[in-house]
Amino acid sequence: MTPPRAPDLAAPGCAVPDLTDPDLYADGHPLALWRTMRARTPLHWQPVAPDLGFWAATRYADVERVLRDHEAFSSEHGTLLSLLGRRDPAAGHQLAATDPPRHGRLRAPVHQALRAGTVDAHRTEVRAGIRALLPYGTEPFDFAAAMRALPLVLLGVLMGLPEEDRPHLIHLAFMASAEDDPDYRLPEGPRATLQRAHRELFAYFADLVRDRVRRPRDDLVGVLLAQRRDGERVPPSAVVSNCYSLLLGAVVSLSLVPAAAVRELGRDGGFARWAARPDLLDSGIEEALRWATPGRYFMRTAKRPVHVAGTEVAEGQAVLAFLAAANRDERAFAEPDVFDVARRPNRHLAFGAGHHYCVGSNMARLTLRLLFEELFAMYASLDVVGEPVRVRSMFLGGYKALPVRGRPRPKSQTRGGHP
Amino acid sequence: MSSPETLHAREAAREDAGLSTAYAAPRTELEERLVQLWEAALQFGPVGIADDFFELGGDSMLAAQVQLDVDLEFGVEISAAALFLSPTVATLAEAVEDAVKTGRTEAGGRTGP
Ligand code: HEM
Repeated sequence: MTPPRAPDLAAPGCAVPDLTDPDLYADGHPLALWRTMRARTPLHWQPVAPDLGFWAATRYADVERVLRDHEAFSSEHGTLLSLLGRRDPAAGHQLAATDPPRHGRLRAPVHQALRAGTVDAHRTEVRAGIRALLPYGTEPFDFAAAMRALPLVLLGVLMGLPEEDRPHLIHLAFMASAEDDPDYRLPEGPRATLQRAHRELFAYFADLVRDRVRRPRDDLVGVLLAQRRDGERVPPSAVVSNCYSLLLGAVVSLSLVPAAAVRELGRDGGFARWAARPDLLDSGIEEALRWATPGRYFMRTAKRPVHVAGTEVAEGQAVLAFLAAANRDERAFAEPDVFDVARRPNRHLAFGAGHHYCVGSNMARLTLRLLFEELFAMYASLDVVGEPVRVRSMFLGGYKALPVRGRPRPKSQTRGGHP
Repeated sequence: MSSPETLHAREAAREDAGLSTAYAAPRTELEERLVQLWEAALQFGPVGIADDFFELGGDSMLAAQVQLDVDLEFGVEISAAALFLSPTVATLAEAVEDAVKTGRTEAGGRTGP
């Protein structure tokens, strides 16, 4: 990595606190800070070590450009900060860590397997799975905890993950992405936590993939095994790596969206108002995605010198595209800090942009639609009744605990309301 | 077998590679074969039986590959945990032996040299 030019100390942006400090995110996305950064230092240099650091992009236009411009920005040095200064060993094998044109060939079959039609075919199962997560009654329950199982309702079926393995897989996925959170961090520290989670997940999927090689099944893992790259079958280790990526991509992101929305709706009776407007179901879900933006940033590395927001990024330097900051940019959204279920247009970046646009977005949208239909059918309101607790993480934004109490609708309405 | 000078050079090379263990030679034929397999995969040698696969420069992708190589070479299914969570030739050899004993072999696989 080339060291950066010395930052311009006269610039007003130099008061920006350490962006890698997980406590900076203790109260959620640091909206005021990002507003200042977008205005004064839209490309801000954050040192990490004497000869290592990254640029932070916070404006919508810049974030979108960094994600889309794969000619200038590579994903092959990793997309999370823990890989800063290294090359991602999964580069060239795992979707998220592979650049075009190879990326396109790896992605096509996965995209096909997760396209809207395929995902829609599992509606009934997903609805039943969602019902099983929600208690009927007035007993308070932890909505955030209940939602941690949501992503595997569908992905677990598609990948053939045994029910009894799922709680541990979910825990490992959070260890691998919220290594600073006291519930997930090992006593040996954040690095050891990442390493342990990573290896356990790899070991799990290595066994699973071997099983599918021996006893082929017509599931998502089978689709990955049938992938070809440059005319040859991809090595099973690449399949293992993609299974890992699918699990992580789904579990830690999708599970955090519902609680972010319910918490916000709970402030002013928004739940009942939205429930009364089935025509706003889809636009409200897009707004929930914009609001939550669970993956705060994704990283890219400059392949050549390139300008962003008028500042030169040197070859080899990392840029963090802060999706969550872009999604609150007043240049892109009217009243960005208002949760508006009727917002249109809503070109949020919660799923990213360009070639790496979330391959699980159809699955995520379908799951969220069925979830909110079910919530609106079951409860007249869902009130926050205790102290919410956030995940402690620079990368993940969201609640790990959200005590709520539902006001159930009469049973007859529950089943009839939303077919 | 080796002169003190080559021994010394080897230890220096291992220190440069950031290894926390001293070199320990394979004790059985099985360990010997696993060492060869690792050396080929890692393109590093000599590999000692107490060395950590990841310290030797291995990553998860390579470990997944080695797990499959072990399957093919010995015709047994060892759990990936043996390689990912206690990644030394010594423990891997135990896992292979256990798998052979408990008959976790696949049809057509070779279990002996
Ligand atoms: C609300 C839920 C979700 C959000 C907010 C989300 C967000 C994202 C974002 C921002 C990216 C782009 C990363 C980048 O550009 O480097 C991405 C990619 C990806 N997501 Fe998701 N995701 C969600 C759900 C899912 C689900 C359900 C799955 C699995 C079925 C999944 C699997 C993936 C994979 C494999 C990639 C890499 C795609 C590629 O590089 O071509 N995600 N996701």
